[in-house]
Amino acid sequence: MLEPTYPLLTDRLVLRPFTRADLDPVYAYRGRPDVAEYLFDGPLNREQCADAIHNRTAQTHLERDGDRIVLAAVIASENTLIGEMSLICKSQASQQAEIGWILHPEYQGKGYGFEAAAALLDLAFANEHFHRVMARCDTRNISSFKLMERLGMRREAHFQQHEIFKGGWAEEYVYAILGAEWRGRPR
Amino acid sequence: MASSILPLETERLTLRAFQRSDLEALRSYHLDPSVQRYTEVNCKDETDLAAALTAMRKQVSLNRPGDTLSLAIALNNTGEVIGQVCLRWADATAGQAEVRFILNPEFVGHGYASEALGSVFDMAFDHYRIHRIFARCDGRNDRSARLLQRLGMRLEAHYREHALFQGEWDEELHFAVLDREWRRSTKVRLFGRTSRVA
Repeated sequence: MLEPTYPLLTDRLVLRPFTRADLDPVYAYRGRPDVAEYLFDGPLNREQCADAIHNRTAQTHLERDGDRIVLAAVIASENTLIGEMSLICKSQASQQAEIGWILHPEYQGKGYGFEAAAALLDLAFANEHFHRVMARCDTRNISSFKLMERLGMRREAHFQQHEIFKGGWAEEYVYAILGAEWRGRPR
Repeated sequence: MASSILPLETERLTLRAFQRSDLEALRSYHLDPSVQRYTEVNCKDETDLAAALTAMRKQVSLNRPGDTLSLAIALNNTGEVIGQVCLRWADATAGQAEVRFILNPEFVGHGYASEALGSVFDMAFDHYRIHRIFARCDGRNDRSARLLQRLGMRLEAHYREHALFQGEWDEELHFAVLDREWRRSTKVRLFGRTSRVA
């Protein structure tokens, strides 16, 4: 249903499928405890990173519910891989998707996340593939929900103690944006 | 195990397991279009009604995650069944339960729904040791939304166009209340305690 042509290009970034050669730069951020703090997984060792990349190399298109596209975000000018962006098909029937990202902390705060996420929203809403895209994060993950807000996403939910996360009570925000809102946003 | 705590008694209501003889009462509200407008699963005909009653008659306790407890709401003075409350044990490790209810539109506006839900919340927190109860309702269903907030539930989510519901874009509200937030009814009620689920 959604099979993009790669790479996707933004002003400064190249978004492309992962390859085996990406192990070192992926380990550089997925191995860090601060990066893993709000992810379901803990910090990954090199072997786990290799497995993750192996799975990602096939995650390039959406066919059915649950499928995900996961792309490497690479700074075009210096060919540096700085993180990963994902687009998940939640429901084809009601055209619902979820976006997410993991960025190397050293490259945060420079607008790369916004650039890459905007490209994913363009992709999701092009040709009315999806009607609504949501994103979620731990309420303590300020930089993540600030990015959602910069994208024009609305906070739709604030769940408290609705599940257990890493041995404690979870607290989670859900943000969302409709295709009409994304197309009509101020630029 | 749970049968010992049923029925739940309040000032004006008895909440009890469904019986074979409740079919007529079920018919009186389940086939009402104003009820069906906001219910997730609708009964279209007599076959659906009978199936719903058969299913609910078996839902008399929460023994494992996924179980639902379905209670008929009966008026103490006449015995008439005016609606239902269902409590679904959604998650064991985090002690989550979802409450759903239907009140016959003829009996709306007398505080029966809050009285019934209040006693179910007491039971959920005190007997089943639930940590958090949540409820969902359609964004246009103002009456239910107000009722849930009056009960002390917080609005946790307002999803816009997140799904198709009866052929239209759906707007859905989620409400929740934690064990420590819930103000127990003033009436002393002794529940037998089960082992903690959360």
